[in-house]
Amino acid sequence: MNKDIEKLIKDFYEHDYILNEELATSIFLLKNLEKPLLLEGNPGVGKTMLAKTLAEHLGTNLIRLQCYEGLDVSTTIYEWNYQKQLLHIKLFEQDEDKLALQNQIFGMDYILQRPLLQAISADKPVVLLIDEIDRADEEFEAYLLELLSDFQISIPELGTIKAKSKPLVILTSNRTRELSDALRRRCLYHWVDFPSKMGEINIIAKKLPNIDEALATQVVTFIHNLRKSSLHKPPGIAESLDWAKTLLLMNQKNITDEIVKTTIGSVLKHKDDVEFVKNKSVQEFLYPID
Amino acid sequence: MQAVEKTFKERLIDFTMYCRERQFVLGPQETRDAFEVAGRGWVLDRKLFQYSLKAIYCKRKEHFDRFDEMFDRFWSRYYEEKLEQRKKQIKQLKKEKETATVIFLGTEFKVPKKEVKEQEAKETVGANESIRLRLTDFSKVNVADKEKLEELAEELFHQMSMRFKRRLENANKGTIDIRNTIRHGISKGGMLLDLSYKRKRKEKRKVVFILDVSGSMDTYSYYLLRYVMVLKKYFKSLEFFTFSTTLTHVTPMLRQNNEQEVLKQIGKNVNSWSSGTKIGESLTEFLSEYGSKFLSQKHIVVILSDGLETGNVTVLREAVRTIRRKCKTLVWLNPLKGMEGYQPIQKGMVNVMPHLDAFESAHNLDSLLKLEKLLMDV
Repeated sequence: MNKDIEKLIKDFYEHDYILNEELATSIFLLKNLEKPLLLEGNPGVGKTMLAKTLAEHLGTNLIRLQCYEGLDVSTTIYEWNYQKQLLHIKLFEQDEDKLALQNQIFGMDYILQRPLLQAISADKPVVLLIDEIDRADEEFEAYLLELLSDFQISIPELGTIKAKSKPLVILTSNRTRELSDALRRRCLYHWVDFPSKMGEINIIAKKLPNIDEALATQVVTFIHNLRKSSLHKPPGIAESLDWAKTLLLMNQKNITDEIVKTTIGSVLKHKDDVEFVKNKSVQEFLYPID
Repeated sequence: MQAVEKTFKERLIDFTMYCRERQFVLGPQETRDAFEVAGRGWVLDRKLFQYSLKAIYCKRKEHFDRFDEMFDRFWSRYYEEKLEQRKKQIKQLKKEKETATVIFLGTEFKVPKKEVKEQEAKETVGANESIRLRLTDFSKVNVADKEKLEELAEELFHQMSMRFKRRLENANKGTIDIRNTIRHGISKGGMLLDLSYKRKRKEKRKVVFILDVSGSMDTYSYYLLRYVMVLKKYFKSLEFFTFSTTLTHVTPMLRQNNEQEVLKQIGKNVNSWSSGTKIGESLTEFLSEYGSKFLSQKHIVVILSDGLETGNVTVLREAVRTIRRKCKTLVWLNPLKGMEGYQPIQKGMVNVMPHLDAFESAHNLDSLLKLEKLLMDV
């Protein structure tokens, strides 16, 4: 394995994030090619956590933009500070040089920086997480294009603001809607899948050092078999961890029918899914997997 | 050099087009990024190159799911074509050599002078290139040369394996070797003045290879591994181990004939690949776990390591001493020996040197091929 990739995996491991070689290569490219990285995958596979860990690994700030429907420029890029502008006008209304006054109130001092502008105005590179981009409108995607390809933002009154330092941009998507080709083309891409059985056992062991290996194996086997069933909301890694933590707190050594009935709420978040599991024997979810 | 780079660029562009034909939306920017990745030398590491191209070329899950298979198919196809071309070239060369013999013996066939000159020039360039590659340190192979070196290694290792396989060897007495006798007669105008003899090869020895796959040996391990795999075809009783912090018995994985598959499987199974080095502990483990089975006065033990021990040196010295006592010959191959001005003055090497029968370099193809004699003689 390449030494840089190996070091990256090791560093992330120290920050409690287990990277595989493929994902580590994408992170390595993100750092070296200075291109945004689009992470797609089911909810709960660790996409957001990856950005947080990257910021920790680099010792830099994480600027997060949580996307939702109706997101616009004023909440993501910048907004004029109207109160401050009005106050300034009031204070200097006696001045005769109106042009100077106008120039003053449309300067950087009168702008409220939102996450995207903050990210490119930072003195040293930050990690910019644009989370769940699939929830935002297509118009917002179009706003992003300039930032993602040229790392600059155009403000009509001020002109183009270029990034002082290029942020490391990570976009995540749960594929609730198809993203535009224009956005995809500007990004590196990685599909984040659920980890392998061994990978997930390692994650649980890393996060919960006191857990018995046999119990961790049972939890992961159960969860992996659950994911194969057609559930409304398949459990993610966070659910595996929550359940393992619950069982550990209850001093359980094995998963039994009784335990499943009382604790399955920490794994499944949909009524039909819970009913589905409760109506089956625990053994049906504990058969060995590859 | 120029020509090789062009070939690689063409290959990469071909791959881009191959992906486009399969509904990958790729523009000039992706191609530029791919070249940047290749230009940074990441192409040397197949996985790094594959995953990098995957991140650059894939834009949606459907691409992502298909990419690995496409990558393997494309680059394997290319490799096979190159191999085929190489075989044809060798065949052509052989044919030309046969023709040259006919000319020498004075038959009617004549080659125009100009063509002969051109062919000579080509062969000389080829020979220089081949010698240069044979002498290139594995750790200093650049992107352009890597593929050529692979091909040359394949060819030379194949030839070596053929030499090993021959059941008879040249000798001063025994059965008359007609082929060699006639060949020697050619230089004397076809008169068979000197007779050549051949005899049965001596009993084959048993060989144990112990290969260091730690981080410091990373660049050499791959070629050494391939070398051992070729030897495996000849030495029926060849045992193969790898180690860095722990020892792995890899002989069972060598049973497959497909070299790429074997490499893949070994890569998967050897957990400590490219990590630290605990030579002493690993050799001690070898002694306790496999010593009674694979060490005897018929065994030659070959350790391939740079000797940069991170563990206890006393343990290493004792392990090497015991192995030497229990086997017929102990050979240490150290790639660092090929470096100019290298002296075995590291603690690890200083402690093991007194117990070795041979201490050789293994840093380039030439040095690996020279080992042939050592193994033939034992």
